Amino acid sequence: MLEEQNGSKTFIIFELAGTTYAVRSRLVQQMEMIEEITPVPNAPASVEGVVFSRGRVIPALNLRVRFGFERIPIDLRTRLIVIEVGERNVGLIVDSAREFISIEASAIQPPNEAISGLSGKYIEGIATVDNRIVLILDLSEVINLAEILIGDQPAHTGAQPAKQG
Amino acid sequence: MAAPALDIRNGRSSSVEKVREQAEEVTRAAVEISNIAGDVGRGAEEQAASIEKALGSAGAMSSSLKDTATQAESVATSAEELVSSINEIAASVEQVSANSVSLAQSVTQTSSAIKLAGSSIQNVVGKAQEMSTSAQQVTASMSEIISSIKSVSSETDALTSSANETAAAIEEMSRSIEAIASNADDLSAAADETASSVNEMAASIEEVAAMSENLASSVDELSSSMEQMARSVRAVAQNAEKITEAAAGATTTAEQMDRSIRSVASLAKQADQTTGRVARDAEEGGAAVQKSIQGLGRVRDSMAQSATVIREMGKRANEIGGIIDTINLIAERTNLLSLNASIEAARAGDAGRGFAVVAEEIRNLADRSARATSDIATIIKGLQEVAYEAVTSSNDGLRIADESSRLGEDGLSGLKKILAGVEETSRVTGQIARATDEQLAAAQLVVGAIGTTAVQAKQVSTAMAEQTTSVQSIVQATGQMRRIAQETAKAMNEQGRAARELIKTAQNTTSISAQVRRASMEQAQAAKEITEAAEAMRRGAASTSRSLVEQATAGNQISTEATRLANIVSSVSKAMAEQTVAADQISAASEDMRRQSDQVAKAMTEQAGALRDMMGAVKDVSRQIGSITRANREHLNASASFSGVLADVRQVTERNVRGARETLRVAGGLTEQARTLNAIMDGAAGNGFAGKKARKKKKSKR
Repeated sequence: MLEEQNGSKTFIIFELAGTTYAVRSRLVQQMEMIEEITPVPNAPASVEGVVFSRGRVIPALNLRVRFGFERIPIDLRTRLIVIEVGERNVGLIVDSAREFISIEASAIQPPNEAISGLSGKYIEGIATVDNRIVLILDLSEVINLAEILIGDQPAHTGAQPAKQG
Repeated sequence: MAAPALDIRNGRSSSVEKVREQAEEVTRAAVEISNIAGDVGRGAEEQAASIEKALGSAGAMSSSLKDTATQAESVATSAEELVSSINEIAASVEQVSANSVSLAQSVTQTSSAIKLAGSSIQNVVGKAQEMSTSAQQVTASMSEIISSIKSVSSETDALTSSANETAAAIEEMSRSIEAIASNADDLSAAADETASSVNEMAASIEEVAAMSENLASSVDELSSSMEQMARSVRAVAQNAEKITEAAAGATTTAEQMDRSIRSVASLAKQADQTTGRVARDAEEGGAAVQKSIQGLGRVRDSMAQSATVIREMGKRANEIGGIIDTINLIAERTNLLSLNASIEAARAGDAGRGFAVVAEEIRNLADRSARATSDIATIIKGLQEVAYEAVTSSNDGLRIADESSRLGEDGLSGLKKILAGVEETSRVTGQIARATDEQLAAAQLVVGAIGTTAVQAKQVSTAMAEQTTSVQSIVQATGQMRRIAQETAKAMNEQGRAARELIKTAQNTTSISAQVRRASMEQAQAAKEITEAAEAMRRGAASTSRSLVEQATAGNQISTEATRLANIVSSVSKAMAEQTVAADQISAASEDMRRQSDQVAKAMTEQAGALRDMMGAVKDVSRQIGSITRANREHLNASASFSGVLADVRQVTERNVRGARETLRVAGGLTEQARTLNAIMDGAAGNGFAGKKARKKKKSKR
């Protein structure tokens, strides 16, 4: 692999609520502009609904809601980052995502003790790129389904109680 | 109690003892009963005695109650009688009251009748007094008549004698009168002659007088007309002087007017020139205003054009914005594509390295175009704002241009009005100039005319002064003439008057002499008649004297009668006065009577009321007596039953007494038996111990 050979890894950089995050490009299937999201009944608050992408139906997770920020309307710069972790495909809704960069492994530091509490578990590491602080996300934690269900209240009130599992 | 055996003596002894004790107790009880029975007997006897007493007093009470009832009944009867008699009294009192009321009324009537009588008596008295007075007056006038008759009588005597004397004198006079009559005839003839000559003289004097009066009046007329002329000449002279002064003043004024007219004329010319300049300026201003209005119109048009252009530009800028959006979208999509390409290239490893570079460059281009479109968007936004502001300000400019145009038109119309005013002013000033020129000419004529007037007035004044002098001398001359004529006329008048008086005197003389003659003849005739009359008078006087004496005698008698009448009237009057006083007293007394009868009536009424009250009270008394009677009867019944009960009680008490005596007797027997028993017991016991004991006990009991 390219990353292993020259000691660097490639990342997709995205912006969320004024903070710069990075996800490993290896885990990214593709990126899309959001055209239509179909809401689903009794979904958790952070799950906007489902989207149709390359012949598959995948859930769209609003990362702002997931991280406890306020929801903003979708615009030209809003992006859906489709990731594959394990056998699961999930679309992450972010404010914007315009960069593909490679970061030296030496530039990545483990998360600081101060932020390694509750929020620290989503952070795999912290890198400095062109004088910008970039938080590298641990996607397996981000899309932890149990936590999504527990941490969120249902976003939509359906006619039936939720059936989870 | 047979003789006891020794073996049983002890046993018997104890039972005997017991019996003895019982016997003693019986004895004691019997004694007590006896005592009690004694007490009962005594009490019963006392009770019987007191019952006897009670019975006695009950009987007494009963009898007294009976008496009381009887008395009450008689009282009731008498009360009823009293009521009926009171009723009778009340009826009679009411009658009395009614009678007294009618008495009061009749007294009142009497009183008023008495008053009437009193007033008529007073009238009679007044009349009697008047009569008395007139009788006295009659007496007095009769006295006077008598005295005058007496004096007439005496004078008649004197008259008779003097009539005789007169007759004699008249006869003498008659003779001398006849002489006078002949002289009067002579005098009359002479007087006739004098009268005719005096008449002639008077006629000539009157002619002269008339002529001199005519002369005086014509002199007067002349004099007054001369004076009038003198006054008018003086007035003319004064007027001429005034005219001269006024002419001088008018000259001065005319000169002043001339000067002022000249200055007005020059001012009018100046005004005309100024007006002409103002008119020119106004016309120029009007032209300028019209030009500026046209310029404003052009400005407005170009403003509108530029506003349209700017709006068009804004629209174009909007279109550019739409295009920029499209470009942005393309840039975003390009960026997305390059990212996906990079992802795929990374997955391809070394094989994708070149592809990754290309993707990188595409991403950079896309970013640049995005930045450029962002810049353009900013610029377009600024441009749109500027265009909006330009449209707004050009709209403002349009509005201001419109307003300015309107204001310019207002100014133009104002200037036109000014022009019209200026033309009017010019015309008026031209008229003023012409008028002042005419005035100037007229004023010069006026000055000349005034100068001529002044000269002529001076000449008139001089002439009038000369006329005044000559007229004054004429006036003086005529004044002298008038005085002379007046004096002449006066003298002639006096002469005429004297002549007239002379004529009158002559005429008088003639007529007097005729009268004298006539009178003398009449006197003569009269003297004869007087003589005859004197004779008749003498005769009549004698008879008058006689009858007067008779009259005097009758008058004396009348006087005496009148005096008597007066006395009688006086006494009547006095009696009437007394009657009046009596009537007044009667009136007062009847008034008192009326008052008293009123009081009596009132008192009767009160008595009637009191009687009614009394009757009510007596009825109450009667009723109470009835109730007392009833109560008495009940008391009587009660005391009768009480007596019955007492008798029963007495019987019971007597039985008690008998019972008590019986009891006493029985108790005495019982006591005796008990003592006997005790003695037996003592004997039966036979032994000292028990016996002693028993004796001791007996002793102690006793």
